[in-house]
Amino acid sequence: MESISTPRISSQLIDSYVGQNVMVVGKVQQLRGDTAVIDAEGQITANLNRDAHLVNGNAAQIIGKVLPDLSIKVMSSVDLGNNVDFKVAQAVVDATHQYRDLFVFDASKGGMMMG
Amino acid sequence: MGDSYGGGYSRTSYNAGGGDDAGGFVYGGSQGGSQSGAGKGYGDDTLRPVTIKQVIEADQAYPDAPFRIDGLEVTQVTFVGMVRAISPQTTNVTFRLDDGTSVIEVKQWLDADKQDDTSKQAFALDSYVRVWGRLKSFNNKRHVGAHVIKPVTDYNEVQYHLLEATYCHLFFTKGAPGGGDGAGGGANGGGNDSMFVDGGYGAGGGDVPMNDGLRTVSARARQVYQWLTNAEGGNEGVHANLIAQAMKMSVGEALKCGEELTSAGVTYTTIDDETFAILDY
Repeated sequence: MESISTPRISSQLIDSYVGQNVMVVGKVQQLRGDTAVIDAEGQITANLNRDAHLVNGNAAQIIGKVLPDLSIKVMSSVDLGNNVDFKVAQAVVDATHQYRDLFVFDASKGGMMMG
Repeated sequence: MGDSYGGGYSRTSYNAGGGDDAGGFVYGGSQGGSQSGAGKGYGDDTLRPVTIKQVIEADQAYPDAPFRIDGLEVTQVTFVGMVRAISPQTTNVTFRLDDGTSVIEVKQWLDADKQDDTSKQAFALDSYVRVWGRLKSFNNKRHVGAHVIKPVTDYNEVQYHLLEATYCHLFFTKGAPGGGDGAGGGANGGGNDSMFVDGGYGAGGGDVPMNDGLRTVSARARQVYQWLTNAEGGNEGVHANLIAQAMKMSVGEALKCGEELTSAGVTYTTIDDETFAILDY
């Protein structure tokens, strides 16, 4: 198993994750062609791949790489419907970063020995 | 929900104490066993919500020893994850599940008698599922043997699960939350605090009203406090030797718990430095 995490972040944290893969849960505010604007404590621009099926106004989970312009190049996106509690999503982001031991393999640590 | 939480967690936290002083042999403590009287068996099983990273990082005291998370033996675990790959084998179906913290293989063994049922069970790639299973190691490769895999239909369950895993981690490492303000008293954990208020209080330990000072003490010291509230001894307090005997801990540990409680302001020393009484006010 790989020791790779895609930490859950919000737009408040995105600038610390340039070049890394992250996960964002937020509300789709805008869909235009291959680009979506997602609100997760602030707006994040997502460059979608072909097979994205997001819905305007719904919640979405995207996984992708943070580009230098702080947009996200999406590798995987899921429509989550309209029944997602964003306050809880934010609580998970907070927990992820407050208790990193539980959630994040730090990339800098490199390959972990697996038992 | 609050009640059942209280029961489950407070018993397990007993094991936590045993684990600390007995060098990892959680079941060695008589407390855990005395509950079921059946020794080591299903009666001692726990079901713990975890992140996949915790599963990957679970350690073993020696090869083939039980897995431990936060120093506590884990038998069964539950977690959520997105299905990344499904590979049907002759004897099992192997899933690769990813919850954002890591990736793990989950094997669901096929029951030859019920071939039809299991082969019908299909999960879409990139959909979330919840797994209940047992941590296994085979040829130095870690996987989870699933008892049950079910699709997650409400994404909030994913979030809730991650917060619950955090809560359990904090419960076992820092003790039960003292009062209304929940897990760890984290400054920015507003969301998860409010989620766990009911469970948290119940977990604190039965009928003893949780004192503010207890919030910071270890789970073991909290048990000593609980015992002291019901102990005979009146104003003179109880000597560490007696606490040690009653709590089945070493005198040194009893003293440590006593000192911890005293510095938290919930007990005080009476006739000498080794005799403790509840500070009532």
